[in-house]
Amino acid sequence: MSLVRCDGIVQIYKARDVELVALRDVDLTIEAGETVALLGPSGAGKSTLLWLLAGLLRPSAGRLWLDGTDLGRLDQRRLDRLRATRIGMVLQQPARNLIGYLSAAQNVAFAQRAAGRDRRRAAELLRRVGLGDAGGRPAGSMSGGEQQRLAVAVALANKPGLLLADEPTSQLDEESGTRVVELIKRAAAADGTTAVVVTHDAAVSRALSRTVTIRDGRVGAESRRGEDFVVVGREGAVQVPPEYHHLLPPGSMARIEELEDGIALRRAEA
Amino acid sequence: MILRGLWERRTLSLVVLLIALVPIASAAVGPIYSAAARTTIARDAVRAAPLEGRGWRYTTSTGGIEAKVAAFTAGAAFTTRPVFGMEATSGRRADRRAYSLVWQDGQCEHVVVVAGRCPRASGEVMAGRTSGFKVGGRIRLTSVLGMEVTEGGRKPAPLKVVGLYRPGPANDPFWFGRTLFSPPGEPADDKADALFTVPSTRTDTYLVTDAVDVAGDVKSGWTDYATVYIDPARLEGTDIAKLSAMQAAAEAAGAQSSDIVYSRVADMLKGLTANAGSLGVPALLVIVQLVGLGWMLLFQTVGDLVRARSAEIALARLRGHRRARVWRFALTEPLLVLTAAVPLGLLLGYAAAGAMVGALLPPGIPAGFPPEAAVAGVAAMFGGVLAAALAAWRTANRPVTEEWRRTPRRSARGWVLDAIVLSITALGLVELLATGVITDVSGQSSSAMAVPGLVALGVALLAGRALPVLARRLFRLTRRRGGLGPFLALRQVARGPVTAGSVVVLGTAFGLATFAVSAWSATSGDYEETARFHNGAPVAIAVRPVEPERLIAAVNAADPGGRLAAPVIKVPGPPQLVASDPARLAAVAHWRPGLAGGRPLPEAVAGLPGPAAPRVWLRGERLRVRISHDPPPEGWGVRLFATLRVPGQLRPAAIPLGALSGRGGAHEWNLPPACRDAACELRALSGDMTPPAQFDEMAYAHVKVTGIAVRDKGRWNALPLPPWRVDQDPGSRDGTFIVSEIGNETLRPATYRPVPAAITVGAVGMRAVPGLDAAFATPVAPVLASAAGPGLTGAGVLVDLAQADRMAYGVHDTAEYQVWTSADDPEALERALTEQGLSVVSRRHVSDVVASFAAQGPGLALLLLLVAALAAAALALGRTVLALYTAARRRGYELAALEASGARVAALRAALLLEQVITVTAGTLAGLTAGLVAAWAALGRIPQFTEPPVTPPLPHDIAAAPVAAVVGAGLLVSLLAAVLVSELLLRGIRVERLRDAPA
Repeated sequence: MSLVRCDGIVQIYKARDVELVALRDVDLTIEAGETVALLGPSGAGKSTLLWLLAGLLRPSAGRLWLDGTDLGRLDQRRLDRLRATRIGMVLQQPARNLIGYLSAAQNVAFAQRAAGRDRRRAAELLRRVGLGDAGGRPAGSMSGGEQQRLAVAVALANKPGLLLADEPTSQLDEESGTRVVELIKRAAAADGTTAVVVTHDAAVSRALSRTVTIRDGRVGAESRRGEDFVVVGREGAVQVPPEYHHLLPPGSMARIEELEDGIALRRAEA
Repeated sequence: MILRGLWERRTLSLVVLLIALVPIASAAVGPIYSAAARTTIARDAVRAAPLEGRGWRYTTSTGGIEAKVAAFTAGAAFTTRPVFGMEATSGRRADRRAYSLVWQDGQCEHVVVVAGRCPRASGEVMAGRTSGFKVGGRIRLTSVLGMEVTEGGRKPAPLKVVGLYRPGPANDPFWFGRTLFSPPGEPADDKADALFTVPSTRTDTYLVTDAVDVAGDVKSGWTDYATVYIDPARLEGTDIAKLSAMQAAAEAAGAQSSDIVYSRVADMLKGLTANAGSLGVPALLVIVQLVGLGWMLLFQTVGDLVRARSAEIALARLRGHRRARVWRFALTEPLLVLTAAVPLGLLLGYAAAGAMVGALLPPGIPAGFPPEAAVAGVAAMFGGVLAAALAAWRTANRPVTEEWRRTPRRSARGWVLDAIVLSITALGLVELLATGVITDVSGQSSSAMAVPGLVALGVALLAGRALPVLARRLFRLTRRRGGLGPFLALRQVARGPVTAGSVVVLGTAFGLATFAVSAWSATSGDYEETARFHNGAPVAIAVRPVEPERLIAAVNAADPGGRLAAPVIKVPGPPQLVASDPARLAAVAHWRPGLAGGRPLPEAVAGLPGPAAPRVWLRGERLRVRISHDPPPEGWGVRLFATLRVPGQLRPAAIPLGALSGRGGAHEWNLPPACRDAACELRALSGDMTPPAQFDEMAYAHVKVTGIAVRDKGRWNALPLPPWRVDQDPGSRDGTFIVSEIGNETLRPATYRPVPAAITVGAVGMRAVPGLDAAFATPVAPVLASAAGPGLTGAGVLVDLAQADRMAYGVHDTAEYQVWTSADDPEALERALTEQGLSVVSRRHVSDVVASFAAQGPGLALLLLLVAALAAAALALGRTVLALYTAARRRGYELAALEASGARVAALRAALLLEQVITVTAGTLAGLTAGLVAAWAALGRIPQFTEPPVTPPLPHDIAAAPVAAVVGAGLLVSLLAAVLVSELLLRGIRVERLRDAPA
């Protein structure tokens, strides 16, 4: 059974008189234990999808299931409870995940408050992220890498089934970034946690088991086991990956050539 | 965690704490200052009251005085220890005088023992020195009998005289105004000075009036009494209710029992409650507005504190914390700060109120801490709690993802609150403009009373709305010219909620401050103007009563130049009368030609003097009047009278001059004895006719005065004849008048105008004015009608003192004798007046009258408003600068980006500076407008005096200088702060900042 299932998710932001469609008809299924990288250009809707998965936003249309539960049908109290017990989230900047004046241990404890304190797990998590000796240090005094590792520990505080991370390596050097990705992978391996990581970093995406590319609010492509696929959307739309734009530029016309197992697109000369 | 969070946000927490202190302290200051002001009013009222208005004498003839007085004074900590006494009245055989046998605790310390000693044992008495008794003698009073019953019944107990005393000062409070003694040098025929004894005399004697009444109460014949005074030094404003209750009990005592409580406290209490009541409205007005302003500051600042935690609150929500926990999490820090602010604010309020009381109220007034102060402080704190709850609610309920958006969505400010405030303001304005002076504190007037604050808030809200719109309108202009600085500044002003909030706060605070300063300057001006008119001249020296001519002469001698002093006699009326020397009055008195049709005082008073014909003074034993007349008609009796003005008498004295016979002759009669010591004045001659039993027609006789003489010390002195006037025949001037039963005429020396010329103030019309003798004899002939006149506090007239003196038969007891002066050295004038035989009683400067107005309830409340509003304005300014700094600092990333993209520092400086200058200037000017509008609407309607003066008309002129000073100082400080803040911010802008993510 899939852990996450998005069915025709549409997300529209309203700003004054303008409506901005952030996601359109997103269908996505993620199996339990998968580690998924969400790739895509800025403004593609990756973070929005992540917030939807975290129950922080309610989709404008479509349905979203988490472990069989339709998030759209949950009231706020249940949604809070679900987030406390089943979802861990790492926000884009390390400092945003932490309360700077609290120690590392207190930050983990703060995350555990809603689900119940577990000191042993807190200590274990800090040890796992390499901050076993830094439990008493205020988070604000830590380096960016330490903060991001602590942010992962905080996100994992309640042993979530789904770990969501938004650009966890964007502000880290390569070594720190690698450590963070390893942490996420280890968490997935050790606890069976499903991880969805928004990233721009191809190295991160390669490190994870599956890559989903979001483009213009749609799932444009997927990559599994090193092979890239385009995704045929609900209306039969296919997004041509940018690396092929020189052959089939956006706005150009193409002829469809039917094959036995699919179709081929050939540029039509004007 | 909470404390760590507070430390993490220590600057903001401290700011919140400081700003929370203000409404709490302001709220507490109000009741504390109000209570102290009430105490001042109460103490002043008691001190100014006559002796009997400062306490009670409780008298009972049924015993138990201690218990009764204890019950009467129960719960009153402001009364002095009762002075107990007892008294019996009796006659004495072969003596017309009544005797009071008295014991009063401490009596011997209040008389001067001139012979012998004070009584110590039963049956001993001390008698007055002038009563004719000797030490060692025995006094037997007819009602004070011995205990031994003899065959002839009881006999008067012999009371042994052991001492003689001389009474102490008549105004000794110990005696509570009682007349136990005859005035010095005037032994009374019917009452002897009290005989002082000891309490045991009562038990060892039998008073013949001892009886048991029908109710079974033993009437001993002795009257027990106790005198209880109000001690002003221990009287508090809160005691007024108790004082009223005591007075009510005192009045009820007479109705419900045979006890009698004598006092004039009721009169004192009437004035006191009126004055204290007049404090209520303005004080409430001040307190409510200050607390309201404090709430607004709290609303914004506490909201800032909650918003400063929005990232943490968002984290709590991200981690799935329950909504209640998020709420608690959001509220804990501000609540902790506010809770800490309560005791500190109350302490600060107490200290501030103490300082204000010390500086503004008379010495010795304690700054207490009434429970209302604590209640008000806590209530003010709840404004912050409400603000925190609202901010927390907003933060906890807005989409959590908003916290992390790169460009947070703008939330439009609602119109609901603004509409409510503006509606209430409009209603209040209408009510205020429709009503007269507000004098009650009922809820009906609440919106009108709050108008100054509401107007300030309303104008500030509108300015807060208008400024961004105006800034948007100017966009196009700055796009084309003016450079980057103005463009960025206007863009920020147009989009910034901080700008609007700052304009609202500054506008409200400066509005209130401008109103306070305007009200203070206008009220001070009104006080000055009223005091100048009421005092009459810069200094009014009160002197003991003397004959008006002596007063005039003394002043003439003391100020021979005639430019520095004027003699004045004031009679209260109504209508009031101020009589003075016109020329001198014109030189020293306060006058406003604008209130008198543009006529200056010298011109106005020129028409006051009347004829200066010599008066007919009669000093001696006997008056002789020579007359010629028609032969008296057959059967008719014709008698002649002379009417005199006698020194020391207010009414004319008529002496008969005998019946007419023949065709003329000399008529004589003894003058009243007073005319031997001081000159009497011949004021009129008249006659009457006694008809025969039967007559056919009315008869009359012409009488002509041909000579007047006075015999003094045995010698006759002929007096020159004055010009004459006949009341009923103005044309007759030769001293001839008609005596008749009908149309009888009176001949008078023509020494004054029958209808005196006067400057009138107010509705005098044809009403008779009192004259110096308060006889209300005649109307006046107005030479000028003015809206105000020197020395007049109500409708009245200004007349020539010499004419008034010639017209009157004396000077009434209620008249006040004054010498008005404009001299720089009034002491020198006082010395000169003393040398001329005048006795100076007191000196009153205009500033003293101003001070007395300022010490009234409204004046005291106005001072509270002024001090507190200026403090609030300073705080609002500080808060605004801080808010602008914080807001600009949040834009550090944006400014760094601009710098990185090539914007010059000068342009950024100009942008920051201009943005802050626009904001603070808009706020300050909005405040100025609001304050002036509020002053225009409220001045003249909000009470300035306990009793609004009838005259002069109050100008309500707002002095431009203080208002300009406040606004100018505010602007100057704002601009300096803007420069400083801009520089600080510019130093913080570094391109490296771009490595950080935007907040």
